[in-house]
Amino acid sequence: MAAGTRELSGVAARIEARIPRPEDFDSDLRGPRTAARVGTWLGVAFGVCFLTGLYSHYLQHPTPAVPLATGPARLYQVTQGLHVAAGTAAVPLLLVKLWSVFPRLLGRPPLEPRRLVLHVLEKGSIALLVSSAVFQLATGLPNSAQWYPWRFDFIAAHFAVGWVAAGSVLLHVAVKLPVIREAFGVPPETRPATAGAPSRRTLLRATWVAAAVAVVATTAAQTPLRRIAVLAVRSGNGPQGVPVNRSAAGALVADLVQDPGWRLQVSGPTGSVELSLEDLRAMPQHEAVLPIACVEGWSASGTWGGVPVRDVAALVGGTPDDDVTVRSLQPRGAYRESTLPAAWVAKQDSLLALTLGGEPLHPDHGYPCRLIAPARPGVLQTKWLTEVEVVRA
Amino acid sequence: MTAGPDATPVGAAPAGRGVLVTRVVLGAAGLLVLGYGLVLLLGSGTQQLLAVATWLVGGVVLHDAVIAPVVVGLGVLAAARVPDRLRTPLVGLLVVLGPLTLAAVPVLGRYGARPDNPTLLDRPYWAGYLAIVVLALLAVAAWTARRRPSAGPAGPGDDAAR
Repeated sequence: MAAGTRELSGVAARIEARIPRPEDFDSDLRGPRTAARVGTWLGVAFGVCFLTGLYSHYLQHPTPAVPLATGPARLYQVTQGLHVAAGTAAVPLLLVKLWSVFPRLLGRPPLEPRRLVLHVLEKGSIALLVSSAVFQLATGLPNSAQWYPWRFDFIAAHFAVGWVAAGSVLLHVAVKLPVIREAFGVPPETRPATAGAPSRRTLLRATWVAAAVAVVATTAAQTPLRRIAVLAVRSGNGPQGVPVNRSAAGALVADLVQDPGWRLQVSGPTGSVELSLEDLRAMPQHEAVLPIACVEGWSASGTWGGVPVRDVAALVGGTPDDDVTVRSLQPRGAYRESTLPAAWVAKQDSLLALTLGGEPLHPDHGYPCRLIAPARPGVLQTKWLTEVEVVRA
Repeated sequence: MTAGPDATPVGAAPAGRGVLVTRVVLGAAGLLVLGYGLVLLLGSGTQQLLAVATWLVGGVVLHDAVIAPVVVGLGVLAAARVPDRLRTPLVGLLVVLGPLTLAAVPVLGRYGARPDNPTLLDRPYWAGYLAIVVLALLAVAAWTARRRPSAGPAGPGDDAAR
C-alpha cells in the first residue's frame, strides 16, 4: 500500500483506487497452503500429459534418437488414455490453483528499478505458465471431441506449447520451492477459519472429488467404468463392435472400395506384384487381438485376421531390416500414407487385415484391406490400402 | 527471490543447500524446455504464430477477466446472503460442477459431430450431464443433512466483517 507504490494522479488514480488489491481478498482458503497442494497434483497431471504426449508425438514422427517399443499391444492405448485422463483431471486442478493465487495478479508493481525488473520477469514467467497451461487444456479437450474451432495447425501448436507449459512448470517450481516447502510444513486446517466458510481440508477434498468426477465421466479408455462415462466422446459401439474415426464416406472412398477390380500393388527391392483379395485370402492367415487406440484417447479392441505384413513384404524381397510404407485409396488427407518401421514389420501381429471378428472388414473399418499393428496410434493404422512399398533404409 | 522462509533454526544449512541445488537444476531445466518450446513456436510461421498467440492471450483473458471475477462475485454474494450452513455445500458444488461444465462443453455442443460417422459423439450428453448434476445435489444434500445435528460455530467465531 504505502512504500514502493507508484503515485498516480487524476483519472488513473481514481481507476487504480477501484481495482482491488491482494489485501482486499479475505478468504483464508487461498494462499500457499492450498496452492502448493493443488499445484503438486497439477504438476503431476501436466508431467503425465507432457511425457505421454511426447511419446505419442515420436510414434507419429519417428526420429532415430528416440527408441520406441513395439509392445505390449495395449501400450499406446494406456499412454494415450493417460494423456487425455490427466488433461481432464487438470481442468479442476488448474481452476482451483488459479483461484488460490488470483489476488496476487492484482499486486502493484514496485517502483525501484531493480525490483521492478524482477517483478516483470516473474509476472512474465507466470503469464507464460498460465497461458500455456490454459491453452493445452482448451485445445486438447475440444480436439478429443474432434472439434477444431481454431485456425492453427493443432498438432504443431499443441506440441510446441506443451514444451512451453512443461518448462514453465519446472521454472515455477524452482522459483517457489521455499514457499512450497513451508506450505507443506503445516497440515491443512480441518476447521474453517471463518464461520460458515469451508475448511481448507474440505476445499481440497472437493477439488480431488472434482478431478475424479471429471475423469470418470469422460474417460474414454476401455475400462469397466465405460458405462458410467456419460460424457465420453464415444460409447464404444460401432460396426463390428469397433468405433470409427473416419468413415469410408468421409474419406471419399465409399465407391472405390467396392470396385471388383481392386488390387494391392506391392513393390520392393526385387520387383512388384499385384494381389487380388482372393490372392491375399489364399496366403497363410494370422489372427491377432489388437486395439484401435486413437490420439483422442478412446480405444476398442478387436480380433483382426489377415496376412502378416512381413509375409507380403517377403514376396518382393523385403527383409526384417526394411520399413514398409502403405498407401490408402483416400484421395487426400494427412493420414493417407503411413510407414511401419522395421521393428514392427518383424512382428507377426502386424497385419494387412482382411477380417474383423471373423467377418470381412466393414467399409468404415478399411475394406478390402487395412494395416493394423500393435502399440501404434490409430491414425497410423491406414485403411483402404492400395499400395504396399518395401523401403530399404 | 524469496529468501525469508528458509530461516528455520537447527539443521537448516544442509537442507537449504540441497534446496538451492534443486532449485538451480529445476530452473535451468525449465528454461531449456521452455526455450525449446518458444523456438518451435517462433519457427512455425507468422500465420500459425498469430493464431496460437490469439488463443494463448484469449485463454488468460477469459480466465482473469471473466471466470475469476464471476467466482469472486459469487463468493461475495454467498458471504452476504447465504446461510452459513449452506456455504460449504455450495462451494463443493461449484468446485465439482464448474470445471466439469467447462470440460463438457465440446461434447454437450456436439460441435465435432459428422453425419457420416454415427460412432462419434454418440451419447445423450445432456441427459448424462444432468444426471451428474442431480447426483451432486443429492450427495451435497445428504452431507448437509448429516452435519446438521452437530452444527454450530466451529472456530472462535471471528466474523470478519468486510
